Amino acid sequence: MTPSRSWLRGFAVRGVFWRHYLDWATINVPFFLYPVLQFFWSLFFFFFAAPARRAILGNLAVVLPDSSRTMNYLRAFRTFHNYAWTISEAAIYKLIKEEFAYEIIGANWLDQLGAAPGAIVLTAHMGNYDLGAALFAEKFNREIRVVRAPEPDPRSAQHLGASLERSGEGAVKVDYNTAGALLSFDLLHALRLGEIVSIQGDRADSGLAAIPAQLFGREVRLPTGPFALAQVAQVPIYPLFIARLGYRSYQIIVREPIAVPRSARNREDDIAPAVEKWRKVLEQLIAERWDQWFAFAPGFQFDE
Amino acid sequence: MNKRPPQFYFSLLRVIALFRGGDARRGESNGREAWLIGLAIYLIHYVFFAVQVIPFDLAVWLTTLFLIALAFWIWIFWLLVLYLNSSIIKLLRWCGLFRTIPDRRGQSILWGIMTTAMAFELLKCSPWIRELGTVWLLAVAMNLASALVLAFSDAARSPGK
Repeated sequence: MTPSRSWLRGFAVRGVFWRHYLDWATINVPFFLYPVLQFFWSLFFFFFAAPARRAILGNLAVVLPDSSRTMNYLRAFRTFHNYAWTISEAAIYKLIKEEFAYEIIGANWLDQLGAAPGAIVLTAHMGNYDLGAALFAEKFNREIRVVRAPEPDPRSAQHLGASLERSGEGAVKVDYNTAGALLSFDLLHALRLGEIVSIQGDRADSGLAAIPAQLFGREVRLPTGPFALAQVAQVPIYPLFIARLGYRSYQIIVREPIAVPRSARNREDDIAPAVEKWRKVLEQLIAERWDQWFAFAPGFQFDE
Repeated sequence: MNKRPPQFYFSLLRVIALFRGGDARRGESNGREAWLIGLAIYLIHYVFFAVQVIPFDLAVWLTTLFLIALAFWIWIFWLLVLYLNSSIIKLLRWCGLFRTIPDRRGQSILWGIMTTAMAFELLKCSPWIRELGTVWLLAVAMNLASALVLAFSDAARSPGK
């Protein structure tokens, strides 16, 4: 790629320019200007981030089949608006360490997770997963490794990784989930050392091992990696989501841990029930919080 | 639920909270306060520019078009003002002033001054616009008086006492 094209890429929707701008705004914008500015920025990206908008509209058509196309456009805007708040509040936590209100649903499972000698946190592109990792590390004083889908702009990836690690004050480590990488061995090693690994399990990008599943009656590809990892390391999987309740207010939702037993049968047979449990949890959470499902890439298989 | 952060940012609301036995420390965690002040500022800027920029003798459809475009212009204007203010804050710091105040609080002061100046201009307009300007100026005056009350009390430093 030529230097001029690489420079221009920084201004793309997921380019590094917007990440730097967000940091600058977090330092400079008084809190009372946020509501109006967020509205206009959401509108801006709603029009210019067309592939993301189409993906959200596609998801909404499946999640809310009775909703009209016009209503879904409004709902897609609401999703963009929630995303704007979510990333800006994560930046506020990271850069100016403002206090956030949060409540916990499933506190006993969260305490179990905090004390677990190695566990997998399975989450989705939902709510404020970046803020969640930092809050978790702070609350339990534990290290957490966050596995993310790679960013299209390497400078964005670098910036995002550094930001997350800074917000977790060294307790959050970021890894990128790329096909063919030796990441799974690193993660297995981390789990065996008693660390917590957080993985997004609502979508399997191409090139990654996936298992077909039914979400809202449509076929999706869910990643098998977290389940295989849990089985090999013999650690539980905790479904965990950070949902935004309102202005600087969050809900940490933890569901019953999922065990992946190791029997004499083949691996797929052991994994299948665990995937089914995760699918049910995911479907329920998406149905309740469709406006916070930030799946900006198509996930459902459509019958053309 | 984790511990409750301070409730208000503006002195007037903090003094009201103080008189009601609440927490008078400064905080930025109140969404309603953010929406109320943000929309009030937007409204004053919008009306100010509508009065200054849009001619009175235009056709209805053209006036409507201008009013819609103005909504977006205010957004662009805000982005420019934020940048300009950040340069002013840098300059003031270079001169040795406001070194202990965070950037966003410096911005907050400059936005207050600018909006108050616009509200003064609105006093020259038609009665309902004049009322809007008056409400803003009254709120600013009460807020400054409340800041004085807080400056002479320990409450902002000793929450709940």
